[in-house]
Amino acid sequence: MSLSFFDQFSSPSLLGIPLILIAMVFPALLLPSPGNRWINNRLSTLQLWFINLITKQLMIPLDKKGHKWALILTSLMMFLLLTNLLGLLPYTFTPTTQLSMNLALAFPLWLATLLTGLRNQPSVSLGHLLPEGTPTLLIPALILIETTSLLIRPLALGVRLTANLTAGHLLIQLISTATTTLMTTMPVVSLLTLAVLLLLTILEVAVAMIQAYVFVLLLSLYLQENI
Amino acid sequence: LTRSLVPSAPAALRALPPPVAVGVLHTTRPLHTTQQSLAPLPPLPEKGGEVRHGLIPEEFFQFLYPKTGVTGPYMLGTGLLLYFLSKEIYVINHETVAAACILTVIIYGIKKFGADVAAFADKLNEEKMAAAVAMKNEAIQTLQTAIEEEKKEQWRVEGRSFLFDAKRNNIAMLLETNYRERLLMVYNEVKKRLDYQVAMQNLRRQKEQEHMIQWVEKNVVQSITPQQQKESIAKCILDLKALSKSAHAAV
Repeated sequence: MSLSFFDQFSSPSLLGIPLILIAMVFPALLLPSPGNRWINNRLSTLQLWFINLITKQLMIPLDKKGHKWALILTSLMMFLLLTNLLGLLPYTFTPTTQLSMNLALAFPLWLATLLTGLRNQPSVSLGHLLPEGTPTLLIPALILIETTSLLIRPLALGVRLTANLTAGHLLIQLISTATTTLMTTMPVVSLLTLAVLLLLTILEVAVAMIQAYVFVLLLSLYLQENI
Repeated sequence: LTRSLVPSAPAALRALPPPVAVGVLHTTRPLHTTQQSLAPLPPLPEKGGEVRHGLIPEEFFQFLYPKTGVTGPYMLGTGLLLYFLSKEIYVINHETVAAACILTVIIYGIKKFGADVAAFADKLNEEKMAAAVAMKNEAIQTLQTAIEEEKKEQWRVEGRSFLFDAKRNNIAMLLETNYRERLLMVYNEVKKRLDYQVAMQNLRRQKEQEHMIQWVEKNVVQSITPQQQKESIAKCILDLKALSKSAHAAV
């Protein structure tokens, strides 16, 4: 099979049956469900410890009302982490490279935080549009700027994740293509490119984890403002 | 007849009288072989399944060993790989290089940090267990301390006769002291009354004495007639003159 650079970003389908649902659900299969036991095996223990760590980190700045969001934020974090990391394996499809999916994740969650804020404490919510201590002359301009920044948040969330992952994957593809092509003509340069590819792979692993964390962190920040 | 119809029933059931033996449910093996409750769960195995090269279970090598020996699975693997490559079932493209890189990173990560992560997971479990064991030990310790205390209390109880004797002595002393005090008080009161009587008598005698003296003096003064008074005064004057003369002479 000859691959072009677009193949890894196209939604997978088998004989016309879209496999996107399987691609999205598959990472959940890799997480063991906590058993009946008090002392589990290493994987379950580590998973429990990790999820506790994430939940604590996200929930500490929030007050009691915000703790209702613990489940969705933690599961979002685990989902993004797993899909991002699994996408680094060869011949895999990463659902988070699709802008449609990321916007579908970002937009409703952001809107939920916004509407929660506007419903429960409208004046405080709108008050965030004007930072404290601004000179009086700048107030109209600043409110416009802050409103724009507020409305662009979901787009930013979705596009940030998409762009980072897509760019990373594309870079990996391009540099590995360069390595493969140069192997026959200039092997030493090919080896150097391979070294670059190794470093890039390490970077991509880091980016995968960081992007997941940033997505969820920003959502929790928006929640903090509005809860 | 019934005995022939139930050949597979256990002996105990067959031994029942024939009308009963027909109706009894005959099973040659019990229906429930495992425990019904959820606890205790069977323990987790100590180690996971043996794996060679981190991926292939040891059972595969054992499975192929009788026919192909030690190198069998490796020959199989190499052959398969070369077959896929030469027939271009697997095409070498850019993803191969990317695969090599990510696999290098993964294997390096696992080799370097695997043991630490496993130790960390074990430590988490150990801490959980240690907390529970510590609680258990603390409870045992508390109970043992309680037993010691109880024994000490029982030993103390044996000495209570001494305690009661001491208390009894104490009380007897208090009573004695109180009695003596009251005795003293009685004595003092009686003495006060007697003193009063004595004082009264003395007073009466004194008053009688004074009265008598006064009466005697009064009578004496009354009995001094004017004539006698003049005579005594003249005598006194003469005496005084005589005295003064003798005094003047002395000087």
